[in-house]
Amino acid sequence: MKESLHQPIDIPDPTRDQPLLLIGNPNNRRTQGLQEARNRLGLKPAVVLPYAQLLQNWRHGGTISDTVDSNLPVPLIRIDAPGEDWEVERELLFLGAMDDTTTLTDGMGAEAFSTEQALSLEQEWGRIYAPAQWFRGWRACLDRIGHEAREMWPEVRFMNDPSDIQLMFDKRQCQQHLSSHGVQIPPVLTSSQPIRSYTDLRMAMQSAGMNRVFVKLASGSGASGVVAYQVNPRTGDEVAVTTMGMELIQGKTIFFNEGRLRKYTRSKEIATLMNWLCAEGAQIERWMPKATLDQRAYDIRQLVAGGQAGHAIMRLSRTPITNLHLRNERMLPAEAGLDEQRMSLVRTEAQAAMSAFPNSWSAGIDVMLTSGSNPRAYVLDVNPFGDLLYRVEHHGLGTYEWEMELLRKEPIQHA
Amino acid sequence: MQEVKLVVSYDEYEDGIRMEKLIKDLAAKPEASSLESLVIGDWGQAYENSPDEFIGTLVESAPSFPSLKKLFIGDMGYEECEVSWIIQTNLTPLLGAFPELKSFSVMGSSGLSLEPLQHAKLEELIIICGGLPKDVLSSITHAELPELRKLELYLGVDNYGFNGSLEDVLPLLKQGLFPKLVYLGLKDSEIQDEIAKAAADAPILDQLEILDLSQGTLSDEGAEALLSSDRIKKLKHLDLSYHYMTNEMINRWNQSGISVDVSDQQQSDEDDWRYPSLTE
Repeated sequence: MKESLHQPIDIPDPTRDQPLLLIGNPNNRRTQGLQEARNRLGLKPAVVLPYAQLLQNWRHGGTISDTVDSNLPVPLIRIDAPGEDWEVERELLFLGAMDDTTTLTDGMGAEAFSTEQALSLEQEWGRIYAPAQWFRGWRACLDRIGHEAREMWPEVRFMNDPSDIQLMFDKRQCQQHLSSHGVQIPPVLTSSQPIRSYTDLRMAMQSAGMNRVFVKLASGSGASGVVAYQVNPRTGDEVAVTTMGMELIQGKTIFFNEGRLRKYTRSKEIATLMNWLCAEGAQIERWMPKATLDQRAYDIRQLVAGGQAGHAIMRLSRTPITNLHLRNERMLPAEAGLDEQRMSLVRTEAQAAMSAFPNSWSAGIDVMLTSGSNPRAYVLDVNPFGDLLYRVEHHGLGTYEWEMELLRKEPIQHA
Repeated sequence: MQEVKLVVSYDEYEDGIRMEKLIKDLAAKPEASSLESLVIGDWGQAYENSPDEFIGTLVESAPSFPSLKKLFIGDMGYEECEVSWIIQTNLTPLLGAFPELKSFSVMGSSGLSLEPLQHAKLEELIIICGGLPKDVLSSITHAELPELRKLELYLGVDNYGFNGSLEDVLPLLKQGLFPKLVYLGLKDSEIQDEIAKAAADAPILDQLEILDLSQGTLSDEGAEALLSSDRIKKLKHLDLSYHYMTNEMINRWNQSGISVDVSDQQQSDEDDWRYPSLTE
């Protein structure tokens, strides 16, 4: 396969007449990585539509058609991650700002910014800004991309369908969706009443006999807004381990990702944290003991594209939060000596998760194995932008190259 | 050495499988007779369930494990249970059931009892926990373990069960308690400086090869006492890893000519608190 990369001209390119339109943040590592991969494969560069431009155009009454060259043939659209760009964050908060909140069924969120405030927010490093509002904005953005693109090009195809991306992004809905499609997921903490506060959470845990849970911000990425929380049913002691920090500023608690792990044991602090997470929307599920390697718990990010299981990376940690970037180690399953039986479990469950989204083509599926000699695989997360993985190859290709190569061989057929 | 670790995984626990069954299954296998090391890991929600549910079975199965030299009760990680939350129980019957045992390790101290602590052949006793209760310390200081060569105790913190004081630790520094002892670990303590000062010139050092004061809150204060002791200089090795000593003190150790581990330097937190390793 590698040799063929040097002779792209000889290979028929069924995607030649269909440009790739990449909606993303230009010049970040995702966009660059994808363009480099296309270049290496001899494919035309993707046409990049920057989120910032799209969102600003919308705000000024425009549509996608005002942002994209009208002569562009019907494209394949790749919607990429909107993150790591402050301008885009503000625009999404703007889009999620609501003057009339009476229609909300899902709770307003603990924090809200008006349209005016959203656009003038100054970035404080690590701060998590009104996640429920941000997510409303992000969902509106996806809806609008889907709607306007189909209006402009009725034949358009998406690598990942905008409504699937919404579903994958909402950990509550996503896990429910997976479960209803027979995918193994950690048991969800259920309660007769919605869990909207620390008190609700404690009661639900007690009546379910679930003493160890993960509380995850429904729309969070990576380790952002993830808490490993446990209550000792005998002593009432509680421990919450998270990367989240809190700070009281002018009578208002703000929340941020600290990039290091913190351990909270005081009820009052834990209550503040949980009240906020529950109000902003949280997925709460059983904290199942993960398989360990040399006393480090691990899970696996398995990339699935075009129905195939590709690159896999193990994330190992001496803490409950395996997807924390800072101190965690990453290893290739082969380096770690993970056997074929275990990897096969991981791939099978990841592919099962992907097939629950027939209108989407690629995702990074986070899979855990249980400890013990007869492990089982459980899907923890589905990341629609999960193909940014470094230092890992599959059939000698990086993630983007592999995906572009798959696309060239077999263009996307779904709607 | 032949070793088996038994773990009741999450799925097995949900399916109703218990440690008792795993022990019985193992005892029924032919390789049981040659098994030298048995590690009992997570028995399922160990913050709620004590080993009582399987200790009896293990005692009854002892004749099936005639070669057993090492036994570990409670080897589990934070994914399974916080160390300080692991429920233990009276483990004395195990020592009676395995008279050929040489090494005995325990993780967790809540509910732990080792009274009376007697064994004719035991060479190694290790207790890993968030805080060692003083009644367990007392069982150890009154123990009859004539062959004991290695004693490693995580003393821990008040919050997690260390309800004693330096007074309860001091008897372990007397000579003659364990005549063959060559490795003494009094570690992971919130009073690590006091222990270091008390140990620095203790007569027991004359029989020791290794002194292990690691994983605790050792600062320059305790280190100063150790560094100025002639008895410390005669040790084969001194383990002070995970500590709160200054760079200057680390340099002094490096230049002392003593075989010492001063790795894993810690920083006090913003309130100037120092935490032992297992309670961080």
